[in-house]
Amino acid sequence: MSETFVIIGAGQSGAWVARTLRTEGFSGRIILIGAEAHEPYERPPLSKAVLKGEATVASTILLSQAEAETASIEYCLGVEVSEIDRTNRNIRCADGRHISYDKLFITTGSRVRYLPDIAPSARIHTLRSHDDAARLRQALHGHLLVLGGGWIGLEVAATARSLGVSVTLIEAAPRLCARSLPPVASAYLAQLHARNGVDLRLAQSVAALSAYQDSVIAELADGNIITAENALVAIGVVPASELAQACGLACEDGILVDETGQTSDPDIYAAGDVTRHPNAFTGTNIRLESWANAQNQAIIAARAALGIPAAYREVPWFWSDQYGVNIQVLGMPVAGSKFYRRGAPQTGMGTWLALHEDGRPAGAIAMNAPRDLRPLRPMFANHTAPDLATWEKSAPAFTPAALA
Amino acid sequence: MRWLDAAAEQDIADGECLGVRVAGTPVALVRDGGKIHALHDLCTHGAARLSDGFVENGCIECPLHQGLFDLATGAPRSAPITEAVKTYPVRCIAGRIEIAL
Repeated sequence: MSETFVIIGAGQSGAWVARTLRTEGFSGRIILIGAEAHEPYERPPLSKAVLKGEATVASTILLSQAEAETASIEYCLGVEVSEIDRTNRNIRCADGRHISYDKLFITTGSRVRYLPDIAPSARIHTLRSHDDAARLRQALHGHLLVLGGGWIGLEVAATARSLGVSVTLIEAAPRLCARSLPPVASAYLAQLHARNGVDLRLAQSVAALSAYQDSVIAELADGNIITAENALVAIGVVPASELAQACGLACEDGILVDETGQTSDPDIYAAGDVTRHPNAFTGTNIRLESWANAQNQAIIAARAALGIPAAYREVPWFWSDQYGVNIQVLGMPVAGSKFYRRGAPQTGMGTWLALHEDGRPAGAIAMNAPRDLRPLRPMFANHTAPDLATWEKSAPAFTPAALA
Repeated sequence: MRWLDAAAEQDIADGECLGVRVAGTPVALVRDGGKIHALHDLCTHGAARLSDGFVENGCIECPLHQGLFDLATGAPRSAPITEAVKTYPVRCIAGRIEIAL
């Protein structure tokens, strides 16, 4: 009898699970359920090309309705799942529908963290979905207040500046992207944003944020008052693991999975932002909020569910684009204690290499130098660092075309 | 089919890429194991130049998102690539590389 594989969550991970199941020869039913009404799409352009108006929603679609039909992938879009019943192996949707599964994939991603004491308002934005991006795009005029100096806050600040919008950015930590970057790289980003006219307020918190009909007013901990047309809350995300927790799957700030993506229930797999998984590079259980992790962990989980030997062992990697600078981060450079330089990353053209005290690689950060990272990837996978004497010589230049 | 001059053979070392413009079209020339391939110099996924990429195992890897294309056919060989990139016929004559668009 034909099997049914159900995927909850139609983002980068969900779409790649579906696609991979088919390309690996699965001939049963594939049902892909998404809470958003859109076909699965890529999120990285939402803070950049889509927000700027240079890319359309259509250009970000990962798996169109037509492609899904050709591959016999059944879409249930705009449908929330309310419960997973592991005993009877079925799920219940908010519209009352029950769907039975033989294997289940949870690829629900993450949701934005919000400030607890602030009432939602049309002038206070978050950015996760296409609909969020469309609303935020309408808000890019006058003065934008960005709460949070992480990657999303910085990318939106850069996009807003390129459209001539005034930007004030408030970050509670004393430096930008403190969770993922070492101080030397945070300093470069601060310089880049200051040079492009962003009013940066580091080590500063918001005591109160109020929204009015045509403005938002923030009161900072130091007593300063900032008035803006709109605010963006970009203070991180939390794993969307509620369904998994409710049905008793092992969770710990994310759904716990092994290196094949299998959860504590052998018939249920998970991939992407929502998982906490063993990472061969760091030697710890980590949760990653990146496009590459969402895609590549999903491909492994789909193969594993089909019984194809597979293990997710990639070195963490992500990129950002700000003011025409392509920033790529490999490994966990923030964990490094010794830093080496190739080219001039401190001026936006070169790479930092971060090593642990014992010489093992911790990570690397390339500024407009993605070619520098490529040879490091297989080395990092083997926990080896390049020969420093030859590595530190200057790097080949890279001229970004139009960046996604 | 009309052959168009693209570059000098000596301009590309083995395992290297070269980005050129031929009659207005961006072309990535790649030498892999003595054979020269020509592909449209734009990734079908993101907006990156394949000539800034890496050559390995008969594929070219996009420098931005690590997607792989088959050098000979342009076919997708890894995620996130789902659409083939156009390839062009190549010939070498008197030290020059020529392609047909």
